[in-house]
Order: sequence, then structure tokens, then C-alpha cells
Amino acid sequence: MKKKLLATLLTCSLVVTGLTACGGASQDGGAKAPEAQADAPAAAGEEAAADVPEEELEGIDLIIKEAEGMTMEELAKKAIEESNGKTFYGVGNSSRGKSALPTFIEYLQSIDPNYTMEFEWQQPKNNKIFEQLTSDSLKSEGTFAMTLIQDGNQIQSKMVDTGILKTFIPKEWAEANGTSADAFEGFLPLQTLNKVFMYNCTGDAKFTNCWDFVYEGSHPLFMGVDSEIVGKNFLMMLTEDKYAGWLKAAYDKLDAEKKAYFEPTIQSVQADAQDLGLGANGAYALAWIKLWVSSYNEQTDDGPICNTLVDASAKDQSGLLVYSKLRSVEESKSVSVNNIKVAAYEDGYTGIGGYGYCHYLFLTKNSPLPWTACAFIAYMTNTAEGFDAWGKDMGGYSANPTVAKAIEDKYHHSQGGGGEFPAKDDRGYDWWTAEGKGELVLEDPIYCSDVSFTVGSWIDVLDHYTPE
Amino acid sequence: MQEYTRPDTRAIFKNKVKTWFSQPQNIILLLFGIVLTFSTVAPVVAIIKDTFQIHPGTIDQHLTKRTVGYTIVNYIDLFTSKLARENLWNPLLNTVLLSILTCLISILFGGIFAFLVTRTDMKFKKYLSSIFIFPYIMPQWTLAVVWQHMFYSNKVTGTSDGLLASLFGILFPNWWCQGLFPSAMVLGLHYAPFAYILIGGIFKNMDANLEEAATILDTPKTKIMFKVTLPMIKPAILSTILLVFGSAMGSYPVPHYLNFTTLSTKYISMNSKYTGEASILAIIMMLFGVLILGMNQMSLKSRKNYTTVTGKSGQLTKIRIGKAGKYVVAIIFTIITFFTSIWPILLFALETFLPNPGDYSFLYSGNFAYLTTKWWATNENITENGMYGQPGILYNGTIWHAFLGTLMVAVACALIAGTIGTLIGYAVAKKRRNKWANYVNNVAFLPYLMPSIAVGAAFFILFSNEKINLFNTYTLLIIAGVVKYIPFASRSSLNSMLQISGELEEAAIIQNASWIKRMTKIIIPIQKSSIISGYLLPFMTCLRELSLFLLLCTQGFILSTTLDYFDEMGLYAFSSAINLILIVTILVFNTMVNKLTGASLDDGIGGK
Repeated sequence: MKKKLLATLLTCSLVVTGLTACGGASQDGGAKAPEAQADAPAAAGEEAAADVPEEELEGIDLIIKEAEGMTMEELAKKAIEESNGKTFYGVGNSSRGKSALPTFIEYLQSIDPNYTMEFEWQQPKNNKIFEQLTSDSLKSEGTFAMTLIQDGNQIQSKMVDTGILKTFIPKEWAEANGTSADAFEGFLPLQTLNKVFMYNCTGDAKFTNCWDFVYEGSHPLFMGVDSEIVGKNFLMMLTEDKYAGWLKAAYDKLDAEKKAYFEPTIQSVQADAQDLGLGANGAYALAWIKLWVSSYNEQTDDGPICNTLVDASAKDQSGLLVYSKLRSVEESKSVSVNNIKVAAYEDGYTGIGGYGYCHYLFLTKNSPLPWTACAFIAYMTNTAEGFDAWGKDMGGYSANPTVAKAIEDKYHHSQGGGGEFPAKDDRGYDWWTAEGKGELVLEDPIYCSDVSFTVGSWIDVLDHYTPE
Repeated sequence: MQEYTRPDTRAIFKNKVKTWFSQPQNIILLLFGIVLTFSTVAPVVAIIKDTFQIHPGTIDQHLTKRTVGYTIVNYIDLFTSKLARENLWNPLLNTVLLSILTCLISILFGGIFAFLVTRTDMKFKKYLSSIFIFPYIMPQWTLAVVWQHMFYSNKVTGTSDGLLASLFGILFPNWWCQGLFPSAMVLGLHYAPFAYILIGGIFKNMDANLEEAATILDTPKTKIMFKVTLPMIKPAILSTILLVFGSAMGSYPVPHYLNFTTLSTKYISMNSKYTGEASILAIIMMLFGVLILGMNQMSLKSRKNYTTVTGKSGQLTKIRIGKAGKYVVAIIFTIITFFTSIWPILLFALETFLPNPGDYSFLYSGNFAYLTTKWWATNENITENGMYGQPGILYNGTIWHAFLGTLMVAVACALIAGTIGTLIGYAVAKKRRNKWANYVNNVAFLPYLMPSIAVGAAFFILFSNEKINLFNTYTLLIIAGVVKYIPFASRSSLNSMLQISGELEEAAIIQNASWIKRMTKIIIPIQKSSIISGYLLPFMTCLRELSLFLLLCTQGFILSTTLDYFDEMGLYAFSSAINLILIVTILVFNTMVNKLTGASLDDGIGGK
């Protein structure tokens, strides 16, 4: 009660200050607009555009519709017409967009040798990409032509539902995936990245089941659900029926002693699982999440986690981190890739091996160079050269099967360890995502967005681990 | 009958206006009063507005079921939900504890050092004085990273072993490795130079009569310390608290690296899902700034004057700490400053030659083949051998581009903030009893007391709208930097201008010297040192500022965000190299300014 009173008092004083300062604008225009739109459905953007008959499409939606029927070469010609001599601005969670753009320009120059284009690729920190795109969307013509972005949950609720970002499905990409632009639902993924369970094997610890990572005394290194939202998406995804089922199956294979350890936690969240409307195995997912949050040792990034795990001194430590980090380890007296094991690669391992999330490609709704953005997106998703900036690393899988095969033929990631470092032999997307094999938990933007304030809020109130 | 002529009120008014405008200090106060009111108030208003706004995809949309509009739900949820303790009260308590402890550490460490340098016959003062300010030159979180490298261990922190655990098997408890204590230590060491410069300035210039008089009256030394010396340095202590409290409160990187939850770290972590509530945290941090300013105003009103009634001494005498004592104390401080100032630099340099981040294999094995120059000399984009797709430092376009950007922002901020601050200091000193002058002085100082992360957030919100979108532009960084750093120059200028007698300028006015001439030929040359400090401090602070710029630009735009990016990624070789670049740049500029003008940061204190 006291807190409510305090909140009300503080609010009142700030309302007065705020509204006085905002003046007429917030009282007139500012207030009317929200009221007028208050009843509008949240998902106004993407769905609205999809529902509009083709002949009524306009602006960026019309361009996308036309572009989806064009080949990459046709798009390239449009891009040359549109952006010759101009500057292209892109923004993304991956810095590799900057490496892909020069090869794209070379590709356009192979069609028109006189073609030139300057470019700038920005990589905002933390969650800033969403705010940057939101503020850019307020302008009649934006700065950014396109984006390469992760975190399906926020993309859905902040970018797509609001109409800020627009999906373009390249013709060749759709064909390679046995679909068409009209039939395909969802966002366009450039690639899937995986974060996998690893552990330091210089000691005696064994992790043969995904429940071992949350067993007594285990404190895996992890980026933390607040610093990287895809990590939280992973936890939310565990409550989806398919993955909760995988957790239950792994639980069933535990020995009696371990089952007895986990049982009380599972029982304690049964009621929560029901309240949250989860499926039959929801309690197993909630229990695993609860134990995970109360046991993981939060680190700033996957880089430091990898640096730690490959060190001989990190005996028995484990972690959940981006698989591709292993590529950058240099062998030395105390550091070696052979100091770690990828849990899912070990014989007899049961349960989820990690999680996968996508880098998605979008046009901005006010893209200043929409044709060029479409051509660039088509180039990255349809050609090995366009994907090369990401493809040269293990642990990143093109969403175009043709490109994925070309990349494997070129870089042989499946033998990346060269017989010396088995942990670096990347078993590929199909293996990682298959039940009974890698069992990656894949991010589903719509599911994450739906449970963001149910399961998500439940996760928020869990106690976090602090080393003693 | 005598004719009564009515005074021409219009002419009188015109004359008054003309006279008013003929005084440059009036124009300065009017102009900057208006500009600074806008630059300080507008971001605050923007962030207050943000707390009421509904943000799609966040908690306020979920609770109101609306995607646009205004609501008070963010306040209600932040203060009353199940997460109130987690999101508000605990971080608030932690923040206050961190700020208080940081003030204590910096005042004790900096104050004792200032006392030893200025009031005793300790040896090696010049060297110690220069080296003592190094932690302030270095970005604060780099000391936090050094702390991690030194004290972490597999057994306690659940990571790989740090240097002390690896080499000597020493395990430090977790409270020493993570949380409040290391965060306060790192920040305290970082801000101790503030205390040293401020308290040292008073020690150096304080009237020795009072202490001498007490000595003549046979007062015990401890009594002199507590009854005479400490009350005299009280204003400097208050100034240090004023500067350090707000800075510690707004520090994001140090608690972030040392695993301590404060309002700043919470602001960043809540920003994605609880955007409006995060803005309320920023406002709470700002309120602390206003509170500190108010307390400072009250302390100014109650300042006391002292007069000696006994015999007076003619000069300041140095306390003798003994023949051996003056060497012992100096050696102790040489060792301490070695670990706070030199050791981090050595570690940074060494890190750029290690095969993997934090991999001291050459130490464990004695084999120098485990050192490498790859971090410097690789001139192609490779992903193997630990380069993470980055070219070596010498060929790394991102680093050098960011370096140029940083230099540009720092120079612009220093020139603009330094000039505006100097003018404000001059004008306020001229009209010291004028209420408007007082207001301008305070409104210029207020942004400094507001935590950097909150000021950054406010500027981001203010300049990210339909009409103006300055995100990731040097313009925005310069605007934020100038507003934030004017206090450095205005305070330093005001203090020095107050020491200049008005007669000097009046004599020049009688000689018909123009204002420009008076400033350039009389005022500025007399107070050259303080004025140059007013330019140097913004420059130096701006070079390695992160919290303020964190939300205003992308990674790779300036050096501090690039450094932070590499540090977070665990690419310590790159971040260490950037640290070295920053330290060398600051030292080069400091030396250049020192050679050209004779002024330096620790001017007038360090054994001179």
C-alpha cells in the first residue's frame, strides 16, 4: 500500500512536470493520436500489408511484391539504376555485413563496370538496434536501406507488428527451399547460429545429459538472459511442447539419484506450468529453467567464456556459448581446443545440445534504396560469395540449402578439426537440429513474442546465481 | 514659476539597456543562461515524457494492451510489482553504497597523498605526483578488467585462474573479486586524482597561520588535524564528493564487469523489455544529481571564516616525517602507485603479445615462443588463430577510424566546453551576488552531477525523433560532451577569476582597452593554468568516456565504444592496445600543453 502511495505521489509530481514542459503538443495532438489508435490491433504492419490486394499495394510493399517475382540479375539491374554513385546504409547485429557489401558491389560492377556505391555498415551496441531502427522509421525517408537483425521475439513485437521492418523473400531462395514468396510465412533468415553446451575436460566431470548442466554444484558460464535476449528466447522456447518433450525424454533417462534431486523442483513448478497454460511436459521445462537461472555464472560475452573454458585451469567448468568461438583458439601450453568437449558430440549424451537463433534480413519501411536492398538481400541469401563473410566460419548455417552445400564444399567445416581437434568438426545444421542428435532448440519469433510477458515474466522473478 | 520637465522614461530605459549590454558579462550570462537552460532541461523533459509513453513490444504495451499513447503504468509496475525489489530497490541501495564507498576511498587515498605531497618533506614528489593521476587517464573499466585478470580463480569465481591463482595459488574470496568492494576500489582509485588535485590545491595554498598559531598554543597534533586542518579542507572534500558521487553513480562499465547490479547496469538490462521503467531509473539517478547540488549550495551558505588572534607565521612549513620516514613513505607510495598506475599499463602491453586473451603460457613454461606479434602485425582478415576476423592493430581500420573520431570529438568538446566554461566563470565572478549569475552557474554545473548514463539516455531520446535524428553522429557526441563537461571549465575558471581583483580590469577600462584585449592581455595570462585545466580536463575525460556515449553511437564509432566492444568480446589484446593508444595520446597532449604553456593537470601541487 505504501509503495502504491509512493508511486502515485511520484507519478503525479512527474506528470505535472512532464505535461507542463511538453506544453500544448502533448495535451492536444499528442493525446488525441494515441486515443484514436488505441483500439487498433497491435499487429498492424506486416499482416496489414499481406492482406491488401496486390493491385492496391503501394510504396515499399509494392516494390517488395515486384522484387519477389524477379531474378537476382533483374534485381541487380534495378539496383544499378537506383544506387549508382549513392551511399548505402545498413545496420546489423553482425559486423560481417561490412565484409559482404564490397563483394556485392563487385557483383554489380560485373554487370555494369561503371557502377559505384559508397557504403556504411553500423553495428549498434546491446539492444540499441531496435531503438535506432524505430527512430529512423519516424522519418519520411529513412537512413537505413536494410537490416540484418537477431532476436525474433523483439523483431516480432517491436519491428514487424509495428510495420517498421518489411520482409522480402528472394525468388531463388524460395525456390531452393521448395516454396514461393507468397506461400512462405515468417521472416527471411540469412543463417542459423548455434550456441552449444561445452565443458572443460581436463578434470573428471562428465556431462552426459542436458540435466547435468543444472545438477547440484554445476555453474555453467553463460551470457545471461538480460544481456543477450536470444538467451532468454531459448529459455522461453523450452516451454514449447516439442522442446519440453525433449527435456522430459532426457529426464526419463536419468538415474534414480538424479531424478530424486530434480523431482522436488519439478513438483514445485507444476502449478506455475498450469497457470501459464503450458503443455503436459511444461513443468519439466520450467524446472530446468529455474535450475538454470539459479545456477549459471553470468559472463559479459561468449568470447570470455570460450577463453575461460579452453584454459587448462578451468577444470570441470561448463558453458553454453556460440560454437564458432572455437575457431579462434590458438594452441599453447595452457590453452587448447582439446581441453573442451562439445557435449552433444559425446557418445551417450542425451537431451538438448544447445540452441539456435537466426540472423534475419529485412527492408526498412522507409528504405531510401529499396531495390538495392532487395538485390543485396538476394545476393547474400542466394550466392556462396554473398554468404562467404559468414560461411567461412563453422557454426553458422545458410538458410539456403544450395548455398550451405557450396560453403561446405569450399570450407569443409565437417572436418574443421583436421583430425586433431574433434570438437571443431562441425556436424552441420541437419545433425544439430535433429531429435536424438544435436537437439538444438530453435527460436520461434511468434511463440517467443506470445509468451514474452507470461513465461518471460516468470523467468524475470527467478533468483540468479551469485558465486560465494 | 519653474517648469517641471517629466523624465523621458523611454530614454532612461534605452540608456539602461545600453549600459546593461555594454557589459560583456551580462551578455554572456543572458546568452548561456538561455542556451544551458535548454540543453539541460530539454533532455530531462524528453526522458520524463518517455516514462509515460507506451513502447511497442514492452511491458507497458502488455499491461495497457495499447501500442501508442501515454500511461502511468510504468511507475506503478516499477514501484509495486513483484520485481520492484529486483529492478529498483536493490539496485538503488547498491548504487548509493557504491557511490558512498567510492567517495570514501578516493578522498582517503587522494587526500592522504595530497597531504604527503604538499605538507610533508616526502621524497620523489614530482614522480609520484605525475604517476598518481594515471588511473584517471585510463578508462575506468580497464582497471576492472585488470582486477579480473589478477584475482579471479577457477575455485572461487568459476572461471579460469587469474595471475595470482595461477602463479602462486592464492585464492581471493568472492567479495574481493566481484561486487561492491572491487567496484568501489576500482572507482575509488580512478577518482582519487580528483581528490588529490582538489584537496592538494587547498593544502598547497592554505593559510598556515591557523596551524602555526595552534602549534604556538601547544595544541596536540591530532587536535590540530581535526580542529584546524580538516575544517579548512572541508570545501575541497565537499567538492570531491560533489564530483565523485555523481560519477560513481552513473558508472556503467565498472559494476558491469565486476558483476554488481546498480541503477546504471539495471538501466541497460531493462531497456529492451521495460523501456519506460528504465527511463524512470534514469530520472532517479538525475534526482540524486539535483540533491547533491542542493546540498552543495547549503554547504556554501554555511562556510566559515577563521582569523588568528595569536602571533602569525610568515610561511608554510613542511612537516618533517623523519630522515628514514620521508624515504619509507615515498617507497610505499611508489609501490602502491606502481600497482595502480604502472602495472595495468604493463599488463596492457603484455596482453598484446599473448597467444590467447589472458593466456600467460610463457610465464608458466618459461618459453617465450608462446608470445606472438599477430595482434599487431596481421594484415589480412583471418578468423583462425584467435584473430576473430580482425586485422592486426596496426592495420585495423576500425580502431584507427575510431581513434580519429575520438580525437575530433575530444578536441571539439574541449574547445567548446573550455571556452564556454571560461566565459561563464568570468561572468559569474564579475556578478557574484547576482541571482541570475548564480542560476547560470548552477545550471551549467548540473549536468556534471547527473549520472553520465542518464544524461546519455536523455540526449538519445531528445535527438531521436521525426525532425531531428542525430544518433551515431559526431554532432550528437559533441553536444552531449560539451553540456556534460562545461562544469570542468566553469568551476576551474570561476575559482581562478574570483582571485583576480576587479581593479585590474577597471584600470584597463580606464585605459579604453576593449573587452577582448582585457581578456587576452590581462585576465587569461594571469589565470593561464586554471583556464588550461578547464580545456585539458574535458579533453582527457572525453577521450575515454564510455557511459555518456554508450547510448549515442555504434561500436567502432569512437575509441571507448570500440574498446568496450573488444573487452566484452574477450579480445583483450585489441582493448589493451586501445588503452595504450589512449594513454600515450593523453600523455603526449599533456606534455605538449605543459611545454607550450607551462600548465599541467597536477599543476601547482606536485612538488613544484
